[in-house]
Amino acid sequence: MTTADLILQQLINGVSLGAMYALLALGFTLVYGILELINFSHFNIFMVGSFVALMTLDAFGLKGQTVVLTGLPLAGVLLVAFLVTMVATGVLGVGIERFLLRRVRHVKGPAAMITTIGVSYILLNVVLLTTGADAKNFPNPLPAVHYDIGGAVLRLREILIWIIAFVLMGGLSYFVNRTRLGKAMRATAQDPDAARMMGIEVDRVIMTAFFVGSALAGAGGLIFGLYYNFTSASVGFVAGLRAFTAAVLGGIGNVPGAMVGGLIIGLIEASGGQLIATAWTDVVIFSILVLVLVFRPSGLFGRMAPNKS
Amino acid sequence: MTVKLTRRSALMATAATAAAATLGVSGAEAADKVVKIALEMSFTGADATSALRAAQGAMMAIDEANESKAVKGVKFEYVKFDDGTATAGQYDPVQGATNARKMVSDRDIVASVGPQMSGVGKAMAPILSQGNLATITPASTNPDITDPKFAAQYRPAGKAIYFRTVATDAFQGPNMANFMADKLKVKSIFVLDDSGAYGVGLADAFQAQAEKKGIKILGRDRLDPKAADYSAILTKIKSLGADAMYYGGVGQAGVKLAKQSYEIIPNVIKAGGDGMFGSDLLTGVGFPAVEGWYATQASPHVVDDPKLGNWTKKYTEKYKMGPDDYTVTSYDAALIIIDAVKRLVAAGKPVTRDNVRDNIQSSKVSTLQGEVEFDEHGDLKNKVISVFQIKQDKTKPLDDPSSQYKYVGVAPTV
Repeated sequence: MTTADLILQQLINGVSLGAMYALLALGFTLVYGILELINFSHFNIFMVGSFVALMTLDAFGLKGQTVVLTGLPLAGVLLVAFLVTMVATGVLGVGIERFLLRRVRHVKGPAAMITTIGVSYILLNVVLLTTGADAKNFPNPLPAVHYDIGGAVLRLREILIWIIAFVLMGGLSYFVNRTRLGKAMRATAQDPDAARMMGIEVDRVIMTAFFVGSALAGAGGLIFGLYYNFTSASVGFVAGLRAFTAAVLGGIGNVPGAMVGGLIIGLIEASGGQLIATAWTDVVIFSILVLVLVFRPSGLFGRMAPNKS
Repeated sequence: MTVKLTRRSALMATAATAAAATLGVSGAEAADKVVKIALEMSFTGADATSALRAAQGAMMAIDEANESKAVKGVKFEYVKFDDGTATAGQYDPVQGATNARKMVSDRDIVASVGPQMSGVGKAMAPILSQGNLATITPASTNPDITDPKFAAQYRPAGKAIYFRTVATDAFQGPNMANFMADKLKVKSIFVLDDSGAYGVGLADAFQAQAEKKGIKILGRDRLDPKAADYSAILTKIKSLGADAMYYGGVGQAGVKLAKQSYEIIPNVIKAGGDGMFGSDLLTGVGFPAVEGWYATQASPHVVDDPKLGNWTKKYTEKYKMGPDDYTVTSYDAALIIIDAVKRLVAAGKPVTRDNVRDNIQSSKVSTLQGEVEFDEHGDLKNKVISVFQIKQDKTKPLDDPSSQYKYVGVAPTV
């Protein structure tokens, strides 16, 4: 492998990782933008998503790496898997908001944030108790197609992940910027009280933010499984923490910021592993985060949060 | 000392005598002394199935001793302790320390089989030493625990209490380095560990001997077992053009490493220690990704020995799964404890922890792996490292280690 091949390969690795972090970071940012709440249950909504995806693919008879699909069956299975997973995690997110967080929304102090931490642990332990703590073999229905670019290898799964992440993020941008509900969301983020006075149903907007954010986390969970071919109850923590870092790095509350932040973290992880050592990955990621926050406290792209009146 | 006879104890004594009389039980049998043996393994998490296979080995030995009344007037019981926790997803040394305290505080426990993991062993050893409770590990191979250099840390009370029916990583790592240099003709290698006590120690020992054998060490890195993505480091290994990769560690990082290395460095020789041996790995990684990995066991390979045919058959019938080599070492560990108690009873000595420990120390027991004797630190006198390679056998269950790991031979000693 030449140096150029190596850089290209680590770029491919980093962008794939980054796409996943970005999908997760969006959930943090959407909720924070509207409620100024850091939703720690998001970590494990992602993890639950990967398990829902695993069960859905299992239901199609895909077990381990034995069945490989192509063409229409593959597209169909993936479409159904994404729909089921995203609706399931979306509903889970809405449920958490409707039955738990709404009740503590107006409580002053960190009650809501602590609630999300509690919910996160409940999700983790429910999955642990029902499936066990060992790594599960995640089905891989993708054919082993790959392209050699010099010494670097671009696999079908990477292309697929980029396309899916791109479509989902494009859809989200369209939704936030061009639809009525998206407009209502932006208005609520700017000033919830004024939005309410203008006749916007703030509760509905908040539920939408939870649904969309959690559905994206679910999609992230499915992508994670397809990419790494495993899942376990502990996958939410590391990925969630890095995605949260990505959201803060890009400017929490800022939708494009979360996408770029995710990519940056992914690329840091890949290049750090190459240049320094994998053992130092977290040190590198969090040092860069600290540096950015010292010099740009509102993140790279500026932070968006409700106006405090 | 006078015994105060309370109303309740008097009543119970009367009732017991009455029961014995009506059932016609002879005095000696009614008074069978219960001797408890603790089984300390990682029953929860990434290594659960290996833990079960090993624990069942000891359980079988104990059941057999009770059935054949191997020790007159003694009934053996086992108590299971689990050091795997759900939050760790694998073994947890803190839970191991808690278990050690529980074991020490139960006066009926005279010895223990375990732990499975070296990280747990390091946490347990000082507590067991203070409690004068001997344990025989069937699987933990980190050499520090029995190394006299660290005696102050791991056996503060002085006497050896940590015995093994396996060899240590001081042999497992270096012998495998010899094997890779001599038999596999490896010229360059990248060494990884999983940041655990066992993994780091094994990788260090391997690396030192590999260097001596003239294998070029291209690099050394450490994996976070909770992280999901090892593609950065694997791409680096690919770019360095390594002949081989050696991984010191257990299943949590191992499963992901095996999956991703199959994608990124399919043609590089991959090897690990006994942490890469077991059904958890076969099911977690799956074929074809797991194919071709080398793994070692720090014990002689006797499961396939025709002499053990009956034993293997009996085990498989009893537990509905095949044994592996650490089932054997665990069975052997229980045999040694039972033998220690037997010699005490025969000599008319009380079955105390101290006496059991002394008898384990002086053991000369014929076990499944041959005659076992310990040196003064608790290590086996006869140390053998067996090498295996994963080769799919479609006619057998894909999660059965004894049919999917092919025995390659004994690794050359240093």
